Amino acid sequence: MAIGPTIPFTAIPWDDALFVLLAGTMLASGLAVVVMRDIIRCGLAMMVCFGALAGIYVMAGAPLIGAAQVLVYIGAISVLVLFAIMLTQTKSAPTRLAFQTQAGPAAVAAVVLLVVVLLAIGSTTWGGGPDRGDTNTAEVAKALFGPFVLPFEVVGVLLLAAVIGGVFLAKRDRSSSDRPE
Amino acid sequence: MIRVFVGSALAAAFIVTLGLIGLAAGGSRSLNAYLTLAGILFTIGMFGFLARRNAISMLMSIELMLNAVNLSIIAFSSFSTTPEFRNNGSVIALMVIAVAAAEATVGLSIVLAIYRNRKTPLVDEYDAMSQ
Repeated sequence: MAIGPTIPFTAIPWDDALFVLLAGTMLASGLAVVVMRDIIRCGLAMMVCFGALAGIYVMAGAPLIGAAQVLVYIGAISVLVLFAIMLTQTKSAPTRLAFQTQAGPAAVAAVVLLVVVLLAIGSTTWGGGPDRGDTNTAEVAKALFGPFVLPFEVVGVLLLAAVIGGVFLAKRDRSSSDRPE
Repeated sequence: MIRVFVGSALAAAFIVTLGLIGLAAGGSRSLNAYLTLAGILFTIGMFGFLARRNAISMLMSIELMLNAVNLSIIAFSSFSTTPEFRNNGSVIALMVIAVAAAEATVGLSIVLAIYRNRKTPLVDEYDAMSQ
């Protein structure tokens, strides 16, 4: 049975409904990341935010980036962040003071920046196509290993350097850990 | 039980209300909607980076900002009329994701290293690099 372009009995297109759902989930969980007090829940809300963002990438016509988002962000970075949260949580660390004293001015600055960005978006004529276009994954691969092969290799070296640097920085220092505290 | 239902309904209403921002900016077939979402996500991340006390919360806010920039890259390339630009935008977004992964690795290990010295994850107590 074929599904029509709009939700049955209404004139709402399916993609707009899905867009509203994904955008709302992304914004709500993004807000939850920065305002909730329990930092573990912040990490879990971050995973939800990244998942909704992967859906928005797919809606924008870049399914490969959506898949990479799920693999890298939800699969790797969120797990890393959750590990770091659990390694640094102490009972003595107060959870009631989640915000700095400059939280109020920071909120004002964020709202001002948001207004400026929205005005700039609204007043600019971007040109470009009238509708989103799909990317061709085979063509993305050809571009990645054709004209972009040097940045690709440099990113590989950067990731290797980051892994070695991360291990070096997080390694427990033997001499200082043996010392009585 | 009734509290769970009311809470879920309120959360769903909140999510739909926030999502209507995207619809008001033009819906899923306009560039402005994606750019508006990216701008809102960036300012959320900026507020979190400026306001949170926990170093890992600040790193999570940086991830939100990186994702907002990535969304705007994808949106601009996806609405381009040249097919090569769409593919190049995907390549650039993949590069940004890889660099963000490297940044998260190094940033979190720096936080762990400082935590080992200072015994706190709160950045306003980081007033010395030595023990």
